[in-house]
Amino acid sequence: MTGLTINGVTAGYGDVTVLQDVSFNVAAPGITAVIGSNGAGKTTLLRALSGLIRPNAGRIALGGAELAGQAPDAFVATGIAHVPEGRRLFAGMTVEDNLMMGAFSRRLPASALREELDAVYALFPRLAERRKQDAVSMSGGEQQMCAIGRGLMAKPKVMLIDELSLGLAPVAVDVLVDALTRLAADGLGLLVVEQDVAVAFDLASQIVVLDRGRVTRTGPSASVAADPAVRAAYLGEA
Amino acid sequence: MSASLLAQVLANGLLLGGLYAAVAAGFSLVWGVLNVVNMLHGSAIVLGSYAAWFASARFGVNPFLSAIVVGPAIGLLGWAVQRFVIQRVITAPVLITLVLTFALDLILNNGMINAFSADYRKVPPVTGAILTFGPIGLPLDRVLAAVAGVVVTLAVHAYLNNSRLGRAIVAVRMDRETSMLMGVKVEHIYAVTFGLGLALAGIAGCLMAVVFPISPLNSSGYLGIAFVACVLGGLGSIVGAIVGGIVLGVVESFGAIFVGPEYSVTVAAVLLIAMLLLRPQGLLGRAGYE
Repeated sequence: MTGLTINGVTAGYGDVTVLQDVSFNVAAPGITAVIGSNGAGKTTLLRALSGLIRPNAGRIALGGAELAGQAPDAFVATGIAHVPEGRRLFAGMTVEDNLMMGAFSRRLPASALREELDAVYALFPRLAERRKQDAVSMSGGEQQMCAIGRGLMAKPKVMLIDELSLGLAPVAVDVLVDALTRLAADGLGLLVVEQDVAVAFDLASQIVVLDRGRVTRTGPSASVAADPAVRAAYLGEA
Repeated sequence: MSASLLAQVLANGLLLGGLYAAVAAGFSLVWGVLNVVNMLHGSAIVLGSYAAWFASARFGVNPFLSAIVVGPAIGLLGWAVQRFVIQRVITAPVLITLVLTFALDLILNNGMINAFSADYRKVPPVTGAILTFGPIGLPLDRVLAAVAGVVVTLAVHAYLNNSRLGRAIVAVRMDRETSMLMGVKVEHIYAVTFGLGLALAGIAGCLMAVVFPISPLNSSGYLGIAFVACVLGGLGSIVGAIVGGIVLGVVESFGAIFVGPEYSVTVAAVLLIAMLLLRPQGLLGRAGYE
């Protein structure tokens, strides 16, 4: 399998353990969504999967390459792009400069870089209109497009997206969901952290439920969505 | 005061400001990207001046030409100092790196006093010509030094905005963690940036040697200039260093006329305090990056 394998990952900050023995697979191509309440460890999970924190135990492997314990640049080079919570675009840089930063690890010649930029602009035409604009002067939805485009510029096999829809207008979320669906159809593996459970069920084929640092449920979206316990906990149904 | 005297004082200030821009740019870059207040910067400038003096005295090479070699050489030294010494405490609070670079400054400065003595030396004039524009007279050497200072600083600015590595330096300044997610090795960027900062110091030292006498005792004055120009223009911004340097040069120049040349440091300090009170982010700076 060509996706991302997470096996027995335990991680945290200093003496505080946030993730306990987390194991699941992210299929590539395919869309997997992580749901869970605040403080469940969703962001910590993505930080471990992009090398920002080193797990205390466990394995993280992509296409046979073992990554746990390595620095973030090794994760990027192997094919994991991380779109962080709140987009974290580089302020003061144009949209195009932000996108070019996404390709930093690839040392592309100018002509190849141009082609990759054009591919992102084809996916998100709004970015083409705003290519020379300061990236953080755009709307939240456009910034998320730019952040996802920046992630794509690394040519990842698996892309991690933290809080896809948080704070965005519903129409912007529709555009993003549509784009991610197309990317997955073209072969990309996606791991999306999503606080809006309805969006998660709609977007993803696989769901991972994270509760207080542990995986409590994994499965196809339809069966997890039908689970009364999940509906009670995350959709507020009695 | 006559109009022609005013014009002369303004021109003197602008020429001084061009040099100050080069003095401040490397200091600002290092502070902005590494969050290190580089106390070594003034002594690195003096080291550049001595190198220019030796090139001139031994080989008859003028400082404009020796800067081409001296800048990269001192830059390489900076790269090594960051990579092997400062990097060890780079995550420590700013006070720790400040104390470390202060210690490195003491070592370099006292080393230079030992090696070269504290006596003033002077590089002979390069052209010695005076340009006259009506009532204003400008030494050509000073004009060339000021223009070279601004051109070198603008070249670094262009490099930061238009090259792959330059953009990574800017990205690390804005958001270190997110730049890591782009595959940037931050410790590598820190070493390159510190090297670039000291290369600018070395070039500034060569240009200062064209205009001013050289002594290790100049280093604290240069550091003060870098500090004030940086705060004036906005921290971490290269264009800010140019604007801050020129404003400081002009204010000092007028200060020398109105309150006396012995108060030039006082004028700079008053300017610094006024700026911190009225516009702490600098003339061109952002209030915060994140």
